[in-house]
Amino acid sequence: MELWSQACLYIDMADRVLIIDDDEQLVEAYRDYLSDNGYEVDCAQELEEAQTLLAHLSYSLVITDLRLNKLAFGGLDVIKHVRDNSLPTRVIVVTAYGWPELKAEATASGADAFLRKPMRLSELGKAVIQLAGARV
Amino acid sequence: MKKSILETILDPHALSVRFQPIFKIQGSARSIDSVEALIRGPRGTKFERADILFDYVRRKKAEAAVDQSCVTAICDAATGLPSAVRININVHASTLGHNSGFVDFLLRHLQKQSLAPERFTLELVEHAPTCNISELTNSIARLRSCGLRIALDDVGLGQSNYRMMLDCHPEYFKLDAYFVHGLSTDSKRRAVVESLVTLAKALESAVVAEGVDSNDDLLRLQAMGVDFVQANLLCAAIPLDELLATGYLNDPSFGKPARPEMRVKSVHRVDQRWTPSGLAAGQSFYT
Repeated sequence: MELWSQACLYIDMADRVLIIDDDEQLVEAYRDYLSDNGYEVDCAQELEEAQTLLAHLSYSLVITDLRLNKLAFGGLDVIKHVRDNSLPTRVIVVTAYGWPELKAEATASGADAFLRKPMRLSELGKAVIQLAGARV
Repeated sequence: MKKSILETILDPHALSVRFQPIFKIQGSARSIDSVEALIRGPRGTKFERADILFDYVRRKKAEAAVDQSCVTAICDAATGLPSAVRININVHASTLGHNSGFVDFLLRHLQKQSLAPERFTLELVEHAPTCNISELTNSIARLRSCGLRIALDDVGLGQSNYRMMLDCHPEYFKLDAYFVHGLSTDSKRRAVVESLVTLAKALESAVVAEGVDSNDDLLRLQAMGVDFVQANLLCAAIPLDELLATGYLNDPSFGKPARPEMRVKSVHRVDQRWTPSGLAAGQSFYT
């Protein structure tokens, strides 16, 4: 909890986060963790659902799986959507793939952080805090 | 396995229907002409909001399937309306232009629920470049032959353009709130609305102004010759039971020019934000 106490110094606890992943259990774990720590969390299972929510609601942060819509790199389209629409939204890409080229590709596309699954929730929390801190 | 949001939307039971009256304005008298059936998405989701729901549907290119789902939900709900009430339903023009099965589907549902087709107006909405025009006009001709009327929704925006006016011969032009809002103080908006009213009259269509939210705008529209208004100012989109509770639909003067005592005695500005259930504070109909 200390991690989150530090975060409170930097972030508006009403910040809204969008989690995009078709793995229900994982989404639930992320959602519960972030909700418990004061974030408002929405979830999407697929690209179009995510694009729609991003078009109508404001998110300070998106956490997206790299594999979306059964496409190995579908998550890159989320980053593209955020950047093309100049949304003030940070993007964390998570993936089970470990290839260094993927991280380079995601970063080049505009991802703000890249995390490998499986990971501890505290790792996710740390990335969230870093990005939220960078916003202010 | 959890259902996707699209699978959920395709279940008509997940959708809810609200009705918003369309008022005929004649001098200072107003009477309810018809009601527009408006869909809300699955409760407790972000897709409960219609703008989010239909944006998603268009991104999924699932307009035709969702239009059928909406028709099912609306026909179910419409059975609770008095039989004199006419009902407007939104349909994507692309659904009529690409999916010839929709007309049969709609007519079958109306018959199943014992709803007279003459009571219905289809409001054509289009957000994508139009489909097969000959298919669209054939569908419209079939619908008209069964007694349905056609309205062109969101006139002036998106793909609701001059070609659609000529190809569809709508009985109604529905002017989007974008042009209507604030026209009493904005001469440019007024110029656009005046030109659309003139065009509609020349094409023998009636004009419905949407999104009227001030009495000044309402008076201006009336002076311009607008025939109908649909406005939260007069009555928000509300569930069937709330609409029935107002008693207006059962009034003998329904569909006729309103008696003096049916006129608006006081009008409250309504919060324009859509609210997930029931009437929000500040909302009202006639009081």
